[in-house]
Amino acid sequence: MFKRLSLKVWVVALTASLLLVACGSGSNAPAPAPTKTDSAPATLEFKDTLVIGSQYGDPQGSWDPIDTFLLAWGEVACNIYDGLVDRGVDLKLKPGLATEWKFIDDKTIEFKLRQGVKFHNGEPFNADAVVFTFTRLLGPDGKTSPQLSNYTSIDKVVKVDDYTVRFMMKEMDPVIITKLAGYGAMIISPKYYQEKGDAFFNTNPVGTGPYKVTAYTKDSQVVLEANPDYWGDKAKTKKVIVRFIPEDATRVAEFQTGAIDIMQTVPVAQVKTLQADKNVKVLPVGGPTAWALRFDISKSPVDKLEVRQAIGYAIDSKTIIDTILSGNGKLISSFQGDGSFGNNPDLKPLEFNPAKAKELIDKAGAKGAKLDVFFSSKAVIQKEIAQAIASYLKDVGLEVVLNPVDPQQLSGTLITEGKAGHMYLFGWGGWTLDYDNTAYLLYSKGQKWDPYFNDAKVNELLTKERTSTDPKVREQAMKDLTVRLRETMPDVPLYQAVAVWATGAKVQGFVAPPDDRMRLAPVTVTK
Amino acid sequence: MVPYIIKRVLHGLMVLLAISLVVFFLLRLTGDPVMALLGQGNPTQEAVAAMQHALGLDQPLWRQLIKFLTDLATGNFGISFRNKQPVMPQLVERMPATMTLAFAGMAVSLLVAVPIGIQSAVRRGKAIDVLGRVFALIGISFPNFWLGIMLMLIFAVKLRWLPASGYQGFKYLILPAVTLGLILSSIITRLIRSAMLDVLRQQYVQTARAKGVAERTVIYRHAFRNALIPTVTFVGLQLGSLLGGTVILEQVFSWPGVGRLALDAISNRDFPMVQGAVLMLSTVMVAINLAVDLTYGFLDPRIKVGGKA
Repeated sequence: MFKRLSLKVWVVALTASLLLVACGSGSNAPAPAPTKTDSAPATLEFKDTLVIGSQYGDPQGSWDPIDTFLLAWGEVACNIYDGLVDRGVDLKLKPGLATEWKFIDDKTIEFKLRQGVKFHNGEPFNADAVVFTFTRLLGPDGKTSPQLSNYTSIDKVVKVDDYTVRFMMKEMDPVIITKLAGYGAMIISPKYYQEKGDAFFNTNPVGTGPYKVTAYTKDSQVVLEANPDYWGDKAKTKKVIVRFIPEDATRVAEFQTGAIDIMQTVPVAQVKTLQADKNVKVLPVGGPTAWALRFDISKSPVDKLEVRQAIGYAIDSKTIIDTILSGNGKLISSFQGDGSFGNNPDLKPLEFNPAKAKELIDKAGAKGAKLDVFFSSKAVIQKEIAQAIASYLKDVGLEVVLNPVDPQQLSGTLITEGKAGHMYLFGWGGWTLDYDNTAYLLYSKGQKWDPYFNDAKVNELLTKERTSTDPKVREQAMKDLTVRLRETMPDVPLYQAVAVWATGAKVQGFVAPPDDRMRLAPVTVTK
Repeated sequence: MVPYIIKRVLHGLMVLLAISLVVFFLLRLTGDPVMALLGQGNPTQEAVAAMQHALGLDQPLWRQLIKFLTDLATGNFGISFRNKQPVMPQLVERMPATMTLAFAGMAVSLLVAVPIGIQSAVRRGKAIDVLGRVFALIGISFPNFWLGIMLMLIFAVKLRWLPASGYQGFKYLILPAVTLGLILSSIITRLIRSAMLDVLRQQYVQTARAKGVAERTVIYRHAFRNALIPTVTFVGLQLGSLLGGTVILEQVFSWPGVGRLALDAISNRDFPMVQGAVLMLSTVMVAINLAVDLTYGFLDPRIKVGGKA
């Protein structure tokens, strides 16, 4: 008996001690470098290699710009390729492979190309490369590309001379310049692509960017090496390894061991711990992604404006941001982030007013109505937000049934087929950072994302902003649109997502990118 | 023996055909993948139609099925909807990582389970038995992702002995293999223990002891060999399952195996990749099942594989 007891005690003690070791206090910082006993070096020494822990998995086995719409692709590939137009980390447009451009008329844009630029394989960049890139996207190869729909306003691209091209548009597209900084418009090397073939190019891409790909292990990592012939500011760190670590706990562990220098997406629960650590820089950044509770207005009772307004008043988005998101979100008044062109700062976020909500529900005769809410089953945060919304709505007399579903199923089938309940939690990337991208696709008549919403004034304002190249006219039209959408309320804007990055204190030059595109050329790590 | 194997192979092919049909229809029940593949843009009707045509999804279902089955008959698993490359090489490319983890995990589990299981049975009720049972209980109770993360915190974050995750060499294999091995070994330990307890009660064991055969020989040659049959069945089936990828551990340890590929394919509605992954796993399971049945004959000569009772 004694032996058995002592053995159990031993086992319990061992388990407890292991747990204590695992959970014990201590610095969460990356491992400090060994302290040198001799005097400190006079100049800073930099590491040759920078390691990044990406929250994303693999970009689905392809680095080809026209195969993708994934952030997993963009965050790395913006260092491999350049577009004619570049969008900096400040989200402002600037010349990329084109040095200047001008509108010849509403449907013709001329670009002057940068000279002396070479692709990673030594092939020269010129007008032929631009023509080839867009002919491929708009031709048979692009037929199955998720990028095609972003560029359908382009009829063709023609060469004027070796360093001048003209974009001939089918229709005026006020956002085309922004779109040319997008994934599908990254310029690829024609000769290399044609010689090596599509399959080889997928895993051995060649662009003109500050880094070139030297090794790629699917679902594991991609290794980049500085391009010594880069036309712009050359990369300061010789080698970058981007590791795909989708599991939050693993990414945090890797950061704590110092195995990665930059961590993408600090889990909400870890933010405060890391903020308290002086060896860590925590970098929150508001991105282009906004979240809303969207209605299927073909279904009763959310077909009634009063019910939709009541739901809007019943939800306390600020508390959701402060608690569930631990402050990592921003209140929004329309379905766009504060960096979006068309955001209306004069329109205040919807007030939290449960009394008013109750009144509206009584007026609409909807008290006790049962509402289905659909949301992604994969994101814990979304589940918690859905639960909070259910609780808020219960307080004002509405009953909510929670329906967690596969995210691809939700956006790929259920929403577009009108099977996503009375309302669903919906995130929108808004990658062009122009409200047109969101507003046209979500609110104009007969769109796949919201086939039932149709408002004459909304359509009129959308047409107005789409048929003008005057930024002032467009901006005013979109601001008016935000007001009209508040009146018609096809959705309740909830928050703008704030992504949190972390780096070790020795990492310099890294700016947390609001669009996830890591600009790695200026980044260094001191030894 | 040979007719038996032929019969079993044919039987296996029937199973694979049935699985192919089930996975084919189940995937198509989940709806049209084209919208998910085109992303968060606004594809025109023409773009949707072009994508459906390019992927063969505009064909009637029976025609898609015939194409799928005829392709399968020639070993062609189709083209990935996502990266437009053949599925088979992509699956094969992931096999080394998955096999490495599966075999390493199994090796760890056997190294732990066999001695503990045997000693627990032989010294029933003694300290080693209690320890073995507690160990097995803990192993069964721990979710593998939790154990993986705990081991990572201890050996990578606190002690800094091992890398936390990745796929770059032997030391990267240790944590995932030990996690997998410990979880598996808990079940195998119990299995060996109970099988050994059964066998040790048999008369031939008593006879062997009565004849003065050394205890070590009694345990390992007479008893353990007979206790192996249920263990081999379990180990074989587990190995088959592991070769299909240990999805959660691959995710936790950023291990680029078949499991992660399959998981991504499901999320991304990549039908050919899901079909390929399921069929590959099924083929491995069928083959291992057959191998396990054939092994019985070697373990126990009284069992005549394919013979009549």
